[in-house]
Amino acid sequence: MNQYSGWLLDIYSHTERGVVLWLLCDDGQRRRFRQDFPVTFYAAGPSERLRGLWKFLERQPLRMELSRDERRDLFSGSTIVLAATIESPCALPPLFQMLTRYFPDLIFYNADLHVALRYAAIYKTFPLARCHVLADEQDAIHQIKVLDSKWDIDHEQPPLRVLTIEPDADPFHNKPGKIHLRSQKNNMTLDLEKETPLLGLLGYLLKQDDPDLIITTYGDTWLLPLLLNLSEKRDHPLPFNRDPDGQVSYRKERSYFAYNQVIYRGQQVHLTGRLHLDIRNTVMYGDYGVDGVLEMARVTSLPIQTVARVSPGTGISAMQIVTALENEILVPLRKEQVERTKTASELFHDDMGGTVYDPIIGLHEDVAEVDFFSMYPSIMVRFNISPETVGTEKKTFETAAGLTSVVKREELGLIPQTLAPLLEKRFDLKSRVLSMSKFDCRYKNYKAQAAAHKWLLVTCFGYLGYKNARFGRIEAHEAVTAYGREVLLRAKEAAEDLGFRVLHLYVDGMWVQKPGSRAAQDFQPLLDEIKARTSLPIALDGIYKWVAFLSSRWNKKIAVPNRYFGVFQNGEIKTRGIETRRHDTPAFIRETQMQILEALAKASDAKELKDRLPEIRRLIREKQTALHSGHIPLEKFIVHQTVSRKLEDFKSPSPVSTALEQLESAGKSLRPGQSVRLVYTLGMPRARAWDVGTSLDPRRVNIPRYRRLLSRAVDTVLDPLTGGGRSWLTQVEQLVLDL
Amino acid sequence: MGNVTPTITDILHREEANLAKFRRALRREDQVVFDDLFVAAYKHRAAASYAGHLLPFETFLLAMQMEDHKEVMCLRREVEALRSQIRLLLSESK
Repeated sequence: MNQYSGWLLDIYSHTERGVVLWLLCDDGQRRRFRQDFPVTFYAAGPSERLRGLWKFLERQPLRMELSRDERRDLFSGSTIVLAATIESPCALPPLFQMLTRYFPDLIFYNADLHVALRYAAIYKTFPLARCHVLADEQDAIHQIKVLDSKWDIDHEQPPLRVLTIEPDADPFHNKPGKIHLRSQKNNMTLDLEKETPLLGLLGYLLKQDDPDLIITTYGDTWLLPLLLNLSEKRDHPLPFNRDPDGQVSYRKERSYFAYNQVIYRGQQVHLTGRLHLDIRNTVMYGDYGVDGVLEMARVTSLPIQTVARVSPGTGISAMQIVTALENEILVPLRKEQVERTKTASELFHDDMGGTVYDPIIGLHEDVAEVDFFSMYPSIMVRFNISPETVGTEKKTFETAAGLTSVVKREELGLIPQTLAPLLEKRFDLKSRVLSMSKFDCRYKNYKAQAAAHKWLLVTCFGYLGYKNARFGRIEAHEAVTAYGREVLLRAKEAAEDLGFRVLHLYVDGMWVQKPGSRAAQDFQPLLDEIKARTSLPIALDGIYKWVAFLSSRWNKKIAVPNRYFGVFQNGEIKTRGIETRRHDTPAFIRETQMQILEALAKASDAKELKDRLPEIRRLIREKQTALHSGHIPLEKFIVHQTVSRKLEDFKSPSPVSTALEQLESAGKSLRPGQSVRLVYTLGMPRARAWDVGTSLDPRRVNIPRYRRLLSRAVDTVLDPLTGGGRSWLTQVEQLVLDL
Repeated sequence: MGNVTPTITDILHREEANLAKFRRALRREDQVVFDDLFVAAYKHRAAASYAGHLLPFETFLLAMQMEDHKEVMCLRREVEALRSQIRLLLSESK
């Protein structure tokens, strides 16, 4: 027997039996191990149908053990099931395609689970876990022990060898000519036209550097398919896979509808024995980068290549599955419960969502923003809200007002059990970040980890009410919002009792003001009081020197809940819902609006805002001149819009449909959910696709339209400042009108 | 995610749309008053939603009345302030 220790890089099904594990060993070697890992699935239903399934399974050419068992279903409790154990996890997916076709009336459990999650539930593994392994001469694992925990914050960093590959142009705009490769040892540029040296040098680099992680730009959707095709055409194998028996696997591109928008996921290229991340196809890459992806993998136990390309919802679902497996709770193939019939009155009372106030429109000084820490997940943990705990009739003193379903408190539910350690880790990280210098070497990594947790926690609430979530239940979802409303109202009452004016309430945050209160300690009694009344953690997000809540464009007297901007006492600018935050705002407009805000941020208080006026006036004039004299680079006019439907489904022409038509003629088609880049042009057609291939004549840019957009963006940030003492801004208002 | 009962804003939009013909037939100056009343209802959407009343229009009417009463209270305070100023001036002039 040999002993090894190192970091677990990846786990996947072996093509014949058990699983393959890759370890970054402490001696620098990358070792491939195999381990026997039988997996069990279950079926429940009428006994004669289960007998039929038993006979059917016996006829299959697979080594399988069948038995009758009793297991726990989260919703229906103890259930008699047929248990089938097979030696080869990779045989499960094709078997299930058959079973769901021949036995659609049976309920299947633990059927479609990723082998990495099954393994994690038994051995407590997670991607990049420190492991100690006992293996025989054929590298078959006999014992594996995990040495650290996924909940550790300052874990040892694995010695990942990284290779980055990046084309010299966006392949969906211009044809790239070269690719740049960078690793710890090498730095080179290869010509895509010269195929022989390209394949030779790339192959050499992959062998010599032997990277663990290949980070590409457009690797999924363009680069790797191109290189692999070329290698096949030229019969020159490229060792992208480290596993000699492994195959490069492709997942198809797809569009789907979620959270009221069409989302597009590009084609994926997965490697074996090595990891491939395409930064253009990595979910939330802009938010948390590689550090966040690795943290997401640690806490969810999903393989790194998978977790980088799935939504946080899949991540939270994976965490719930691991908790269920650890507690020997059956994981259904699909949700079997339907919502019970409710009266209209019940629906009105229970299905109300979070509390959102209309803020008091205008400019306010010395305003504190206090936020509940991950409010909905904290509520789930604090009040034990889980699909199986909601629905008892026994009321407790903590029952939220107006909530029909009451929550059982005796046993910790599946969801709180899953979320509690994640919340604790995030809380710990956030506390450390707050007391840490921005120049601390851990700062960036901590922020990325906290951002990854944030998205998991945000989606866990939605998943409680999602109709297809395996562990979802609408009553649990409603219970969370009911507690949320109660908590926020208690916070409002606490603030008013202590003499604060509540300017705004938004789901888990509150903006308050009190004459004379402008330092953090002035708000501490309020935080203490809210904590005492709600028993949930709350923190001061910051104190604004000034904040402006905006009115609706449609009616100036009506406020918009999530449209505001302000400057904290430390000079940090916060904006929500205005042009700078919108992805369909051209860079030129976004930059101008931000520059105006930066100029305003220099004022030490609201009274000094008028002193910034000359600077703002100068800035707007400069922008105006640049716009008219053609000094704005063309790419700053690009508008990004999401394609909501197929070209043929557009009923009337729009800038998006025009751009799609042009792209289609140029042989580039886009799918719903993808982003189309376009520039507004004069005459017909009114827009021009940026990626159409030919260059755009600057004289065709619709300057008047961009001028209107600029005017609107300037108006957004200056308009609230003109309320009250209007006289000092008259000149700027005039200037805006002149635009 | 969750259920799909109409939001309080949807309900308010619908109520306003139902009264579109009524509004159209009003004189221009009365239309302004009508619009102002709906602004008052918009301001209290959060409270109307929380109340979960089966006939939400009743809460909208109450919201309109409340804004009106706020205005009355404000004007009353101003009148009181002006009165006391006048009284002071009168007493000084005596």
